Amino acid sequence: MTADRSRRRAAKRPPAARRATPRRKTHSRPDPLPTVVGKSPRRVDAGAKASGTARYTADLSFANLLVGYPVTSRFTHARIRRIDVSAARRVPGVVAVLTAEDVPGQNQIGVVIADQPLLAHDLIRSAADRVALIAALTREAALAAARLVVVEAEPLPLVCDPVAALEPSAPLLHPRGNLAAKMVIRTGDYAKARAKAPIVLEQTFTTGHQEHAYLEPNAVVAVPDAGGMFLTGSMQCPFYVQKGVARVLGLSHAQIRVVQAPTGGGFGGKEDYPSEPAACAAVLAHHTGRPVRILYNRSEDIAWSSKRHRTVIKHTLLADRDGKLVGLKATIYVDAGAYLGLSSVVAERANASAGGPYRIPNVEVDTLTAYTNNPFGGAYRGFGQPQVTFALESQLDALARELGADPIELRLKNFLRQGSRTVTDEVLRQPPLAARTAVEARDRSRWAAKRRAAETHNAADPDRRHGVGVASMLYGCCLHAGGQHLEGSAALVQIHPDASVSIAIGASEIGQGAYTAMAMLAAEALGFAYDQIHVVPTDTALVPDSGPTVASRTTIMSGNAVLDAARTLGARLRPVAAELCGVAESDVVLQAGAVWARGKQAALSIAELVTAAYLRKVNLAHTGWYAPPKKLWDKATGRGQPYSLYCYGTLVAEVSVDTITGLVTVQRVTAVHDVGKAIYGDGVIGQIHGGIVQGLGYATMERLAVADGKILNPTFTDYLIPTALDVPEIDIGLIEEPYERGPYGAKGIGEPALIPVAAAIANAVSHALGFPLQDLPLSPERVKLGWEAHRSPAAAAP
Amino acid sequence: MAIDLILNGKAVALDAPPAGRLIDALRDHAGLTSVKEGCGEGECGSCTVLVDGEPVCSCLTLAGQVAGAKVETVEGLARGPDRPLVDAVVEAAGVQCGYCTPGVILAAKALLDAHETPTRNDIKTALSGNLCRCTGYHRLIDAVDKAATARRRLAGDAG
Repeated sequence: MTADRSRRRAAKRPPAARRATPRRKTHSRPDPLPTVVGKSPRRVDAGAKASGTARYTADLSFANLLVGYPVTSRFTHARIRRIDVSAARRVPGVVAVLTAEDVPGQNQIGVVIADQPLLAHDLIRSAADRVALIAALTREAALAAARLVVVEAEPLPLVCDPVAALEPSAPLLHPRGNLAAKMVIRTGDYAKARAKAPIVLEQTFTTGHQEHAYLEPNAVVAVPDAGGMFLTGSMQCPFYVQKGVARVLGLSHAQIRVVQAPTGGGFGGKEDYPSEPAACAAVLAHHTGRPVRILYNRSEDIAWSSKRHRTVIKHTLLADRDGKLVGLKATIYVDAGAYLGLSSVVAERANASAGGPYRIPNVEVDTLTAYTNNPFGGAYRGFGQPQVTFALESQLDALARELGADPIELRLKNFLRQGSRTVTDEVLRQPPLAARTAVEARDRSRWAAKRRAAETHNAADPDRRHGVGVASMLYGCCLHAGGQHLEGSAALVQIHPDASVSIAIGASEIGQGAYTAMAMLAAEALGFAYDQIHVVPTDTALVPDSGPTVASRTTIMSGNAVLDAARTLGARLRPVAAELCGVAESDVVLQAGAVWARGKQAALSIAELVTAAYLRKVNLAHTGWYAPPKKLWDKATGRGQPYSLYCYGTLVAEVSVDTITGLVTVQRVTAVHDVGKAIYGDGVIGQIHGGIVQGLGYATMERLAVADGKILNPTFTDYLIPTALDVPEIDIGLIEEPYERGPYGAKGIGEPALIPVAAAIANAVSHALGFPLQDLPLSPERVKLGWEAHRSPAAAAP
Repeated sequence: MAIDLILNGKAVALDAPPAGRLIDALRDHAGLTSVKEGCGEGECGSCTVLVDGEPVCSCLTLAGQVAGAKVETVEGLARGPDRPLVDAVVEAAGVQCGYCTPGVILAAKALLDAHETPTRNDIKTALSGNLCRCTGYHRLIDAVDKAATARRRLAGDAG
């Protein structure tokens, strides 16, 4: 039986909901164990979504609404001579056509540094650069006008390779050069280790762009509001949108209110990017004085929004003859596209994670983020880690082949242990659970038997070959030390006079189940029933800036803020309960939707307690706050504590490879994750299922075709993502060792779910075919050509 | 010129351009916003509706084509015999971001209306025209499987 199934069987219905009906007085207080946390109640938002009553951005109505449209040009890199919008302005139905000079505040949208104009005025650096904005009565009128915007420009040479971009002869995209950011790790003495190492493995890996392919394309509405601007839309980070819009309008943050609409998927794609359409809509709304909605169609969304970074990774792994790792050198080229966006932050994670969950004493990592004219690199689930994990885990399998060792045994020999130093020279205080995940994945998947069976099968040299591969991962959960100033998170918990509760968090619900997990935590900590808790849409006017909804941080950060608020309110309710029950305050407990006095259920219900507190003018709302302790980290050497905590995981993938067509089929995946404590059981399982299938797409089928900086396949017809027919059998194991600072012990799972997937699949394909693979995705063309070259190397040699 | 059709069980005259897309007619003229646009070219299935019981992409269908037909969206399933299917998708945690959910439910309804005992592979095939980027499909497949069982039980009880 899978963990998945046993978990669900144990918790089909929300126990809190069952206990909502008042108990008889004679009942004893339940164990002090969590009564809601760890279960799988009905999601707070599922009913509305399944019945079609949830209102996404495109479903909302506004009086006098205009359609906004950003205009791009046919250029990818060019110096603008003239932009003429006069013909576009004359199109019937067009209300406004704006260019750079019409931006009321700063014409700037870069989230980390100011290198990205909202509207291009002198240079066009990417195919997604906007030159004008149109507001019209209809999309048809806007499109007709867009076609009449004239851009005269002098084409400049293109920079389409992140390695070549950093050569001295490369044309420059920005005055300070094409090296947008550089991160390093220097630990131990790599040169010395290299000179002595008996085994030196050198490979160069490449990974392609990945499109997020959330089902709801970008969508936002800006509504002029009392001198400021109200916005709602599909987004992960309302506070980023607030800041971005304030800057382009020249207004204060307080004048911009952003409410997240139900959001049809994000996966990082709606982290920073929605600030761009939001700023466009806000500028148009400011000029026209009318609400303006921008809805991208699918092709626009794929063409204009950010992607998982394409990378080139030059990798050298050093080991001794016993298979002990002694050194790592990696040069990681990150293709930022034309603007920095979040690329330096992604690079920070790629850099810090390059050593995986292993003890490697001598390390030299250089992560070079390069400007190119390619599609915009941005946040995507895993945030630079799937790429470096693919490179490192492929190298470990190459080492296992070199030594004739079992890949899992080799990893077990090298995993970080309690007190080990990581590649960033951090001494681990929390127990590193990599080995536990690997052992459990090995045993659950029947690794040894499956590997042998595949090898026996392949020995007959069939056209359809089998392979079994593994990958392990260490994931630094929450924000990197470089961004720790954004980590503080808030939650407003408000108990209404009828004992219903509303909570507002600073993080957003993008499908991952955050609102449900927060409602569960609030119910648990207040002692109220789960179905008394309501989560209101994330709203910048309700909660203080809580940073972004990224880095698998919501359960920990917003969760701890919810607990802070709930516990504060509990401390205000308990004296009232004690007074009404005639016992000492220390004898009163609120739990599972009831009041307990000296271990027995009180005659006083929660509703009566709340009414009594309300009549006594007790303040029943509180904004909770959580921020993790400061992390010390040195940018110059990459040494120190990059993350507050780590999550570990190991995946085993079983594949079959058709050598005639090159098609890789993933048959089965065993995923074991260290989650601290699964708060919302179904949510954790859902994240792992989804992460595996997204990672499967990344590994085997999702190829973004880019030529001269332009995306050639911006449609679901030509960019393929997995369907229901592509999904493997999945077996999930959860390791629940509580994290001391996590709410009820929880860690994050959103990104770990995806990070090791492509690496494990690539190792399985490599096991099936008998040679290493260096390029993602493992498209049929690549697999077939690789196989043919492997079978007749002479014919394939140049 | 109005388009006469049976929309979610009721006879209606939809005042929408017959040469326009069915998705726009349903969303803009009938207020049925459960019909989601994900790609506009028949690849993602978010705009799936049932026309005379058959799942179609309403982005590839002209409004005029449904004249005289029976058209169903999830708004029509809230009450009635298909409620257990909607509940199964919710209970099996088949909903994450929710954008694909209405289309998936309708594709599943078409399957269950045609097959009393679908295999897991039948379910996968029936859902293969509906892209979901969140769930990895497992819980959706489970949900349809459970709904099929629930239907058989209901049918058994009725008989």
